[in-house]
Amino acid sequence: MEKAFLKNTLLSEFLETLRLFGELHGPTVSDTGVAAFSPLDHTSDLRLDYQRTQIPPKKYLIPFREEILHYSEGNYWQNHPQVPEIILFGIHPCDLDGIAYLDRVFLGDRPDPCYADRRARLTLVGISCEPDDFCFCSGSREPAPFDLFLTAREEGYEVSVSSVKGETIADAAKDLLVLAPTAESSRRAGCSITAQDPQLRFSDNPLWEKFAATCVSCGACSVCCPTCYCFDVREYPALAGGGTRLREWDNCLFVTHGEVAGANFRVSRLDRLRYRFLHKYCGFTPLQGMTSCVGCGRCKKVCPVDIDLRELIESCRKPTPERP
Amino acid sequence: MKEHALDMNTPFAATLLDRRDLSADSALFRVAPEVSALQTLSRFIPGQFVQLSVPGGGEVPISPADLPGEDGTLELCVRRVGHVTELLHQTPAGASLGIRGPFGTGFPLEEMAGRPVLLLAGGLGIAPLRSLLMHLLRNQDRFGEITLMYGARQPKLMLFREELAALAAKGGMRLFLTVDFAPEEPAGSFSCAVGLLPELLKGFSFDAERTYAAVCGPPALYRCLTAELERAGVGAERILLSLERRMRCGIGRCCHCALGQKLCCLDGPVFRAGDLKQIPEAL
Repeated sequence: MEKAFLKNTLLSEFLETLRLFGELHGPTVSDTGVAAFSPLDHTSDLRLDYQRTQIPPKKYLIPFREEILHYSEGNYWQNHPQVPEIILFGIHPCDLDGIAYLDRVFLGDRPDPCYADRRARLTLVGISCEPDDFCFCSGSREPAPFDLFLTAREEGYEVSVSSVKGETIADAAKDLLVLAPTAESSRRAGCSITAQDPQLRFSDNPLWEKFAATCVSCGACSVCCPTCYCFDVREYPALAGGGTRLREWDNCLFVTHGEVAGANFRVSRLDRLRYRFLHKYCGFTPLQGMTSCVGCGRCKKVCPVDIDLRELIESCRKPTPERP
Repeated sequence: MKEHALDMNTPFAATLLDRRDLSADSALFRVAPEVSALQTLSRFIPGQFVQLSVPGGGEVPISPADLPGEDGTLELCVRRVGHVTELLHQTPAGASLGIRGPFGTGFPLEEMAGRPVLLLAGGLGIAPLRSLLMHLLRNQDRFGEITLMYGARQPKLMLFREELAALAAKGGMRLFLTVDFAPEEPAGSFSCAVGLLPELLKGFSFDAERTYAAVCGPPALYRCLTAELERAGVGAERILLSLERRMRCGIGRCCHCALGQKLCCLDGPVFRAGDLKQIPEAL
């Protein structure tokens, strides 16, 4: 079987072609050494040797703070964000999985207008990766939906296309692509994550106590998670009348998250840690049973007290010791 | 006309008609939604909630205290407790508000048909249960005996008490009122028992095998009342709890209202006690 192939030497030209379709963004490293998806003003800013960005691509779909509604003189109307077409280049499969999950949440049976606007203008160009010690994706799945996907080979990239948008771009770049025989994909072994079963063993696991004793509720794991999306809603009136309603990232590790008038249902760190990971690994209505962890390793990388979820997952896999 | 898909995200315009103070910090607000909202709001089932917008403050989930009137008017019983409800309490009649909803599950009225219904309200918990009570009383021929047990901290905090007494006097329901403690009240004023709701329930004989119980109150109330109801013989699947969480979006996205793997805004706010047993943080 043959597939489109992009030679390394033509990558820069390929990126220039991508620019014809929108603002080109990709992995870069900031002056302070932080890997981030940002606009590629110069193609040379691209850092394809990145392991993971600190903030996942969710920021393109759910900005940290976003206007959702406007109101004036008693009427409310939806905000439609004015976003340019963005070509996001160099997304690893785990982050594509993250976007696929967010699509389920925000474009499912109750589509979110702001998310839909942004998603429609985002073109996803994925790229294969090499895992490091923090990664724990299965690595053997088909990547989630993408427009274009580049699989690294010797001397270049095999180019897969899976959308009309992707076809249009591939067509525009056809002079840069050659047909080459497809290479056998190497499957790497990983610590694949599946919905925890039985769930009770997950929630009663003694490791929670250990984690809760060190967790500082900083919320970094949630901020960096490609599939954490929960938000708070705030309203800002304008002095001249009317106003704007915003939503911004919230964090279930924060003590305010479980508050209601006069009570709090998740006061302890243990409650909150377990809440987050129950959501992550077992899912909420209507995505109950679906694991949203994509194994990107960010939560372990950023945790200031080295909480390692894999410990928990491994311990859940072990059979329950028989009672004497 | 609004697009249907946006109905859930964008509030309908509404006007505050008037308010009636029920206690020092709680009032009944009558709200008239715009005409285009009436069809959506007419789907309201007792126990569901709406998201009430107070311009400049934000949104709060409120379970209406009655079904919408024929003209769509909603009755919302709101305690002044946070910045949005504080602003609502300062809002003059005629001012603009916003309404989204109804959201969530209501009480399973079809299933409750023909059965005796025991309503147990603590404090502000009377508000969501009042819509159920009104529905039951208007459709008495379709339900069994209706009983309301309502507990408040003290007599002056008992909401709707004259109104409830008047409804009971008509003979449609049995009414038991109780207060945690009773400071002196003027002679001839309203009388009620002194004690906690579970105590009141202990001395109550009813057809537990067939009864549906609907409970709403402060967090501490659910555990002891559920235990007491089960002891009396009410199956956990017939104990209906209306829970409070801080729903930000109302449509299953913001994740503030999760209990276990359930979301209060989609799976609730009315839950069966039996469905909550495995969820430690639910009650």
